[in-house]
Amino acid sequence: MIEQIPVLLVVLPIVGGAVPLVASLVSDRAGWPVATLTLIGQVGLAGLLAWSVSTSGTVSYAVGGFAAPYGIELVVDGLSGAVALLVAVVSLGVLAYARQAGPHSGPFYGLYLLLVAGLTGMTVTGDVFNLYVFLEITGLAAYGLVASGRDASAAVAALKYLIIGTVGASLYLLGIGYLLAATGTLNMADLATKIGEMAAYDSTLVLTAFGLMIGGLTVKVALFPLHTWQPDAYANAPDTVSAFISALVSTVSAYALARLLFSVFTVEFLSAVPVARWALVGLACVSIIAGSALAVSQDSVQRMLAYSSVSQFGLVVAGFAIATPLAVVGATVHLLGHAVMKGGLFAATGIIERKTGATTVNGYAGMGSRVPLSAFSFAVLSLAMVGVPPAVGFVGKWYIVLGAVNAENWAVVAVLLASTLLTLAYFARLVERLYFAEATIHAEEPVPEDAPVTDGSGQAVSFGMIAVVVLAAVLAVALTAAVPELQAMLEDTLPPLLNQ
Amino acid sequence: MSTLTMVPPVVVLLALAIVVSRLPRRVGHAVGALVPALAVPWAVMVPEGAHLQTQFLGFDAVLLNVDPFSRLMGIIFGLIAAVAVLYSYASEADTTQTGFALSYVATSFGAVFAGDWLTLIFFWELMAVTSTLLVWHYGGKAVRAGFRYALLHGLGGTLLMAAILRHYVEVETFLFASVPGGPETAGITSGLAAALAAIGIGVNVGFIGLHAWLPDTYPRPHIAASVFLCVFTTKTGVYGMYRAFPNGHEAIAYMGGGMAIFGALFALFQNDMRRLLSYHIQSQVGYMVAGVGIGSSLAQAGAFAHVFNHILYKGLLFMTAGVVIYRTGTESLKKLGGLWREMPITAGAFSVAALSIAGFPGFNGFVSKGIIISGSHYTFSKGPLPLGEFYTLEWMLLLGGVGTFMSFIKFGYYAFFHGEYGSSVPDANRLQSVAMVSVAALCVIYGVYDAALFTILPFDVTSGAVVDHVYETYTIPHLIEGVVLAALGLIGFAVTKKPLSKLGRVPDVDRLYNPAVFYGSRSLVVGVTELYAAVDRAVVQATSVVTRTVTAPNDVLARLRNDDSLVHPMRAGIGLSILILAVFVTVALLALS
Repeated sequence: MIEQIPVLLVVLPIVGGAVPLVASLVSDRAGWPVATLTLIGQVGLAGLLAWSVSTSGTVSYAVGGFAAPYGIELVVDGLSGAVALLVAVVSLGVLAYARQAGPHSGPFYGLYLLLVAGLTGMTVTGDVFNLYVFLEITGLAAYGLVASGRDASAAVAALKYLIIGTVGASLYLLGIGYLLAATGTLNMADLATKIGEMAAYDSTLVLTAFGLMIGGLTVKVALFPLHTWQPDAYANAPDTVSAFISALVSTVSAYALARLLFSVFTVEFLSAVPVARWALVGLACVSIIAGSALAVSQDSVQRMLAYSSVSQFGLVVAGFAIATPLAVVGATVHLLGHAVMKGGLFAATGIIERKTGATTVNGYAGMGSRVPLSAFSFAVLSLAMVGVPPAVGFVGKWYIVLGAVNAENWAVVAVLLASTLLTLAYFARLVERLYFAEATIHAEEPVPEDAPVTDGSGQAVSFGMIAVVVLAAVLAVALTAAVPELQAMLEDTLPPLLNQ
Repeated sequence: MSTLTMVPPVVVLLALAIVVSRLPRRVGHAVGALVPALAVPWAVMVPEGAHLQTQFLGFDAVLLNVDPFSRLMGIIFGLIAAVAVLYSYASEADTTQTGFALSYVATSFGAVFAGDWLTLIFFWELMAVTSTLLVWHYGGKAVRAGFRYALLHGLGGTLLMAAILRHYVEVETFLFASVPGGPETAGITSGLAAALAAIGIGVNVGFIGLHAWLPDTYPRPHIAASVFLCVFTTKTGVYGMYRAFPNGHEAIAYMGGGMAIFGALFALFQNDMRRLLSYHIQSQVGYMVAGVGIGSSLAQAGAFAHVFNHILYKGLLFMTAGVVIYRTGTESLKKLGGLWREMPITAGAFSVAALSIAGFPGFNGFVSKGIIISGSHYTFSKGPLPLGEFYTLEWMLLLGGVGTFMSFIKFGYYAFFHGEYGSSVPDANRLQSVAMVSVAALCVIYGVYDAALFTILPFDVTSGAVVDHVYETYTIPHLIEGVVLAALGLIGFAVTKKPLSKLGRVPDVDRLYNPAVFYGSRSLVVGVTELYAAVDRAVVQATSVVTRTVTAPNDVLARLRNDDSLVHPMRAGIGLSILILAVFVTVALLALS
């Protein structure tokens, strides 16, 4: 039974996603309950799978009975199990937010579940081409979701996302072609042994494949300077979608990047071709600094949060690229923690905008008293993101820094420490505005005419929306307690990947 | 561990200080006099050795270290503190002031019973604080003088601290050599540490040039506060000097000689009674410093004998001067005269004290000063300028003795004997008289029965096995010496009386460095403030430019291009994004292969 769970995890949301599409012919109201039921099942399955991985190790499943390396293999280890559970939980949580925040149409929930299927597929697959397929499913669903906003800017943002995302995915596909030419296989485990044997690590084929695949995924992760689609998409999409894709899409792409590094190219490749590691670490560092700098310069809070993601994913990729066990644990913790924190932050911005009309840093002034619970959660999440102990943001950064110190990569250590200051710079500004500044928008004033009304679902804020934000804030701290468990799970399944 | 060594005296006395400041005046002063009086038998009986070994700030420390030196200091400190509290009560000091005074006494006890440098410097600095509080408490002119006092002692304390740290670097412990676990050689390590220590302690003992706080501070506070002040700081300084230089040092010895002359000379120029007495502290401490500097056991025994005696007669002198001020309200000798008729007890007590300090045979100063001078002759080098049979340091000390005679003849002459006092004033009140007479009696007793003094000295000066030259107080040459000095003093005063009376205020070094410090610090403050303001302006300007560029780069860019139509000039469009992607991948592939 356990071996089937990975495939069930992909099939369940696809099947569930078809129902609202059909049901929407009759009623628009069927979407949410169907999606909720599906995702509750998804969370149960993912939880079971993660528990199974943590107790009895890696789970693998050969799709259609065709054995690897020729058939498609689904492999779930500690890393993918944790990410699969994250995807399930976050998508269920965002659903609670979507109940009130909308959009309410049937096709929306269809796309929503399709995106869950794509993300889960990317997580559990053990095949590089299969990964591409799910990457495209994810992409298409995400483009559609971004476009579900009612105003024109959402459509433009979605188009930009589509074109850039597709080019990125194509580069990845091109890279797969080179790999296939070099080794004749697409299975990750098989590739890991054949790269190096059949084609030297520094052969042009392998290097080109590496460059194209990592480059393609970097677009999806949205590292600087390939992030240009991301702030537009995050800021112009409906709040539900912003919370969802900001929490998961880049996260799963970063997971895929890590998967390529450890399960396909392996750490030996990074050691044999130091320039590859240096390029990746350098890119990550540039992304950390540039993302933070861009975040500081934003007026719009959502855009600021989007640029913050550019910086935080730089951190995650740096951790993976350093590739010591400690740094990988840290990067994973930060990957998961960032998803919860960023999703919660976007959800909080949605609530604050609905209640007060505030969307800019200056508009947030004095809002601490107007929306006490959301503002407080926002502040907690911000501080967690900065890395104030005991929040999970601290643990992740701490491990990454320790890993960098162990690897004696002092430039990275310096950048990591500087990034904490930079993160503090833009989040402290917001928290200061929220609590210590004179309000610029007053309660009796009507919401400004030109305030972007993202979907016409009204300005009401439900209990579920606030609950999601508060829950995210609680998780941002509580997840720290789960870190030892996660660390044990990763250490059980990662050493074969890390070979160290 | 006996009950005597269970708590360090400083703890008891600090508690006492707090209690006294809370109690009613009469009860408070009764308790405040009783407890220090009990410290005398305690100091006599407490067993020798290092007690209360503990950790202080993470280092080994000894809070109660008893040896003959600290025992002597404890006896005399307890004795004079008891008398001074009694005198405070009689002189209408309030309990807060006596509380401050007792905390000052307490920290002095802490310093002289410390068994390591860290504890010593800790209480040393606290002494500076408590004595400053004691000065400030009086208000008025005492406040500014207190500031100068605190500043200089802060400086001295810091120098001593630097010396101790340097010492620690060398020997890796703060402990004294006599304490278990202490270093092999006693004293502060030579070189930089020794130089710093000498100057740092030099502030406390009033080295020439570093002494200006003495005549500046001590005349200003309450008359009873002066009695406390004249005892503890300088004598603890002498004690510290011994701890730092147990084998003496030539330069310190000559500095002591210089102080003896300089202090006596400047005392001669003074008309303010307590100012005159303050210069004499410097002069007398000069004898002690010389004794420590000579370094022989004879001279050091003399130095500590002089500490003991000096505390008695100098306390007494400040008490008599205090009574005169208390009754007449006048500080200046020029406005006094003929008081012996009005206040015979005070005049009598003054006479005893003056003869003691001047070293007239039969009084205690004669005994202890004699030991030091004997030490300078028999156990010290001839020095660069020997005059006949007199060695350099010896004649310096003798000359200081002449000056002392002269200035006390002057004091006594103008205050008590010269002319008539215009109005009728009462003598010292009963308790003041008790305090003065008892100390005066001690001055005479220790002068006549010198053996009583010898028993408490750290080295037995009457035993040839201990000292290089056996000392005997009453020998014919020594008696002649005492009388000749007195005669010279009398002649000297008669000769200089007229010019001295015409002399105005003679400037001391502080006339030079008070303005220097004032204008120096003022220009420093102004300079720093202006510089700061300039830097601040520049930084604010630069910051606002940077902030604007960072927080609103679009505006800045649009302004630079003079084009308002660019709403988001920095936001990459789709085409540009793809271009960037293509360039990025190309560069990456080129770099990899």
